[in-house]
Amino acid sequence: MANESNSRKAILVTPEICIGCRACQVACKSWNQLPASKTKNNGTYQNPPDLESNTFNIIRFTEVPSQETPVRWLFVSRRCMHCEDAGCVKICPSGALYKTAEGAVAFDRDKCIGCKLCSTGCPFDVPRYDKEGKVSKCHLCFDRIAANMAPSCVKTCPTGALKYGDRAELIAEAKKNGYATIYGENDLKGLGSVYAFKEEPKLYGLKENPALPSSVAFWHSYLKPLSWIGLGGVVAAAAIHYLAIGPHKEEKEEV
Amino acid sequence: MAEMVRKSSVDEIINHWLLAGSCILLALTGFAFLFHLDGVAGVFGGYNVMKDVHNWLGVIFALSLLYSMRHYLKDAFEYDADDLQWFKVAGGYLSHKVKVPPMGKYNPGQKLYYLAIVAAGIAITASGLGMWLMKDDATVMMYSHLIHNLAFVIFAIAVPVHIYLGTLANPGTFKLMVSGTLPLEEAKRRYPKWMKAEGRM
Repeated sequence: MANESNSRKAILVTPEICIGCRACQVACKSWNQLPASKTKNNGTYQNPPDLESNTFNIIRFTEVPSQETPVRWLFVSRRCMHCEDAGCVKICPSGALYKTAEGAVAFDRDKCIGCKLCSTGCPFDVPRYDKEGKVSKCHLCFDRIAANMAPSCVKTCPTGALKYGDRAELIAEAKKNGYATIYGENDLKGLGSVYAFKEEPKLYGLKENPALPSSVAFWHSYLKPLSWIGLGGVVAAAAIHYLAIGPHKEEKEEV
Repeated sequence: MAEMVRKSSVDEIINHWLLAGSCILLALTGFAFLFHLDGVAGVFGGYNVMKDVHNWLGVIFALSLLYSMRHYLKDAFEYDADDLQWFKVAGGYLSHKVKVPPMGKYNPGQKLYYLAIVAAGIAITASGLGMWLMKDDATVMMYSHLIHNLAFVIFAIAVPVHIYLGTLANPGTFKLMVSGTLPLEEAKRRYPKWMKAEGRM
């Protein structure tokens, strides 16, 4: 096996060539055996309206004004971004959320304690919870990719709007093909779902400058270590005090 | 048999051990959540059960802390000139040569420790309840998580100091938290102002 840094895989989304067929949504449900939800037509092809515990990916439909045509209709795949610096993995108190060797953020349902803190850690509002309160989200088909197969959504995509492979190679190829903006190339130490654009990512409704919530970053970098450094420091100081100065001595007579 | 003085009532001692026991177990399980200590979680049969244990221990801790206020809260807010002097000589802990001023029932270090525990205890209880019962409120979750951990740092530092001072650093003190009594002669030496107030010296 290649070394860790070279083994990082990714999904490359190229919204420009997405035709909005949503086969990726169906393939995901099929592979992961996720039931469909009953929804109502609310005037858009976007369905279900957002990610759900049984919907790991959706195509987001956006209508934007245009000079040439009455309206531009944009499609973009919304899913877990598989951040390298994943806030959900950091904050998860039970180790239910974890990173695989390929760089996927996967979850172990049995280990999930249903605390919902991963929602607090996620910059993209991805984690969802099933009826039993357990976490549920796209896991990059970690079972398939571990067996050298593409994730089911990628496998089924008819246009190549979804590609799976070596992350560095995918990004280099996209740049070579004239996609100047790679969304997620360096954000959160590099996303595992990267998006190739010729236009502004925010046109497609992607979050600008995504980052870990500052409270989570502060907690992880300072508070967490401070708890054991504090405890260890006091134990060490007590030991030194006991040896160097010694315990309180009862004075039999006032000096 | 020497004449004895009761410093701690029976309910105070029972409550103290409830507070201490729940606090230590909460800290242990808290560390297990923070650093994914699978060995500790395994003792409880996994993180799911450990979460329930942690939550309900928190309830015991909070009730116990509330009850402890009848024992310590009033004293913890009263300070005099001797208390100020006590801080100047660091309670006599940094040198055996300094003269420590006469003390009442509790020294100012103990009183400030209690206030710190009450403050951190209220913060950690409120934020714990927030994370337990208001999971779907993103703002509550974010602040609760932060406050819970901030308060935990205070506990992680203050509690071991209290344990050290209550055991190794002051021989005989631990016995007091078991029996609640000490010989009159010793009480006169350690808590002269309290003994005077009680009319026993």
